[in-house]
Formats: sequence, structure tokens, C-alpha cells
Amino acid sequence: MSAHHGSNDIQHLYEGDQSKLYSGVLAHHHDINSSESKSQVKKIWKVFWLLLVITVVEVMMGMFFSHSIPKGVINFLFLALTILKAGYIVSIFMHLGDEVKGFISTVLIPLVLFVWFIIAFLADGFFWLRMNNSTPTRAQIEAPAKHAK
Amino acid sequence: MSHSTVVTAEPKENVWIGGRSPFNLSYGKIMMWAFLLSDALTFGALLISYGTTRFFSAVWPDPNEVFKAFPFFEGQNLPLLFVSLMTFILIMSSVTMVLAVHAGHCGDKKSVAKWLLWTIIGGVCFLACQAWEWTHLYGECGGLWGAFTDPNTPVEKFHHFFNHHNAGHVLETAPIVAMQSTHNFFNYFFTITGFHGGHVTSGVIFNILILVNTVNGVYERRGHYEMVEKIGLYWHFVDLVWVFVFTCFYLL
Repeated sequence: MSAHHGSNDIQHLYEGDQSKLYSGVLAHHHDINSSESKSQVKKIWKVFWLLLVITVVEVMMGMFFSHSIPKGVINFLFLALTILKAGYIVSIFMHLGDEVKGFISTVLIPLVLFVWFIIAFLADGFFWLRMNNSTPTRAQIEAPAKHAK
Repeated sequence: MSHSTVVTAEPKENVWIGGRSPFNLSYGKIMMWAFLLSDALTFGALLISYGTTRFFSAVWPDPNEVFKAFPFFEGQNLPLLFVSLMTFILIMSSVTMVLAVHAGHCGDKKSVAKWLLWTIIGGVCFLACQAWEWTHLYGECGGLWGAFTDPNTPVEKFHHFFNHHNAGHVLETAPIVAMQSTHNFFNYFFTITGFHGGHVTSGVIFNILILVNTVNGVYERRGHYEMVEKIGLYWHFVDLVWVFVFTCFYLL
């Protein structure tokens, strides 16, 4: 950094120049008491209540139904509700829903990697458990089950 | 394309020829998103590794048995209640953060400071809860990482983490299998919630820094509160990760 710049000059280089490049939310300040502002705040609180209700439903399911509903069904519901919550947080709280389409794709497309990642690794774990019948511990688990039949 | 639908639309302007941001975003915000993407992959790797281990384990500790304690209610069976409180605190602090960002859009210095302060309080409460939970589990396990490595560990040390309806048979016939699962479970638990807690800690520090800057009028002089937005993105991401940690460790 050159010594003759004051801190405000440096700040200008970092932050000031860029505002000419985009016309996003920063460009137009609006009044916090305006109706537009109030409706945005209302939306934020609405999402908060939604997230809270979803979490309460999840916890209730975990507490009371985790042994009565089939494991596959309840896990599917848990994952669906998790994705729903994540969607609300990213789209409303992180304002991704308000960005231009190209940017939304730029953020979301790399996450498709997770689809492969999850399937490949979980399948491997699943396969390993059933494949590895050479260890004594595995044999110990299986043996009584065979006796029962 | 049919003429009737788009006659009034202006010719599409090419935003990629320079002179403006094609994403209509500042460099700093785009880079924050890029960082969050990479951080998402890191957390994803940790959680998927946890999932893989769980899939190749014949038995696994039951969250309803492991997480049933609540401060000041020792000995009572209160499954998932404490973690629900932690989740509530984190969601709440996410709301106060987004309200701070909103106040920043309006250039309302006082509101930004107020909501940032609430966010910091929420973050500190969450960390306090986590410290209590870790301390409690430290007592239950006799350590944090690697407390279940000795093959001669008596089954009494870990059988209470399991649901006996599902795992009772394994606990009786092959306790070492259950011990191995307990070992994996707690190692992943402390690693992943620790990594998340580290994120919350740094988020609280960032929030304190931007609160100081806000109160000192740094952003008012700069003309915008974009720094609050960037730190807000980070804070929401931390909340987002917790949503997945919550599902993977406490629900599934």
C-alpha cells in the first residue's frame, strides 16, 4: 500500500469503484418505514415461522414416530423437510432468489456434485457391510440369526 | 419464438462485454458465495463420510438415547429437546441477521447495530449450549475423541447409547461391534459439530467487528452496508449447515 494514501482513499479503491459496475440493491436506498420495506420484513418473519414449524414437526416425528413409521418413510420425510428448510434459508435469507438467473445457476450447478457424491459413497458403505463376511465380528452377528431360522 | 409474446421486449443487452458486473453483484459478494460453495463441499465431505461409516456399521447409537439430557433436569428422559432449543436459537439469530442486512439496505445505522447485537447474543447463546452439550457428553464418554478404543471396555460404558430393541442382540453377542460404532459416532460428532462451532465462533467475531464498524460510522461514510450483507451470507450459511448437521446426527 502506498503510504501517502489516507485510509479513506484505500476504502474507495476497495469498495467505492465497484458500485458503478452493478445496479443491485445497494444502489437504491429506501426508507425503513416505507411499505416496501415493511412487506420485506413481514416476509422475513413469515419464513422464520415456517422454519420453526418445520423444525417442530421434525422433532415431533423424531420423538414419537421414529419407531412406529417405517424407517425408510421417516428418513425420506426428514430429508425432504431438510431440503425445504435449506431452500428457504438460501432463497429468502441469503437473497439468492433475488439474484439474476445466471448467478443462481452458477451457485446451484456445482452442488449437483453432491448427488453423485452421496450415492457413490453411501452405496460403497452399504456394499462393504454385506460384502465383508470374513471378519469374526461379522460372523458373530450373522450366526444367531441363522440359528433362529 | 412467437412474435405476439415478445414484441414489446427490448433487444437483449449483452452483459458480458465488460464495464459492468454480469451478475449484478460486487466482486466481494461473488467471492463470498464462492467461498461458501467450497465450504459447503468441505462440510458435505465430512457428513458424507459420516454417512458412509454409518452405512457400513451393523448397529449405530440411537440419537434418542444419546441426546436426552437437558441442563438442570439431570436424569430425566428428554430426547431431542435441548438440540431443538439450540436449533431455535440459531434460526432466531439468522432472522436477526437478515433484519440487520435489511436495515443496511435502508441505511438505518441504529437498526443495523441493534440487530447485529441480537445476532451476536444468539451466536454466543448457541456456543454456550454447545459447550454444555460437549461437557455433558465428555462426562458420559469419559473423553471426547477416541474414548472408545480399548477392546476390553466393558459394555456398560456404551450400551446406554443404543436402542436395545434394535441393537440389544449385537450388544450381547458382539459388544466390540457396538463399541466400534460408538467410537465412530462420537469421533464424527465431535469433529463435525466442532467444525461447525468453529464457524459459529468466527461468525460471532466477524459480527462483533462489523458492529464496531457500524457504530463508528464506517459504513455510513462508505455509503453502503455491503460488508453486513457479506457477513450475513456467511452467518446464514452457518445456519444452513446446522440444518444438515441437525438432520444427520439427531434425526436420521
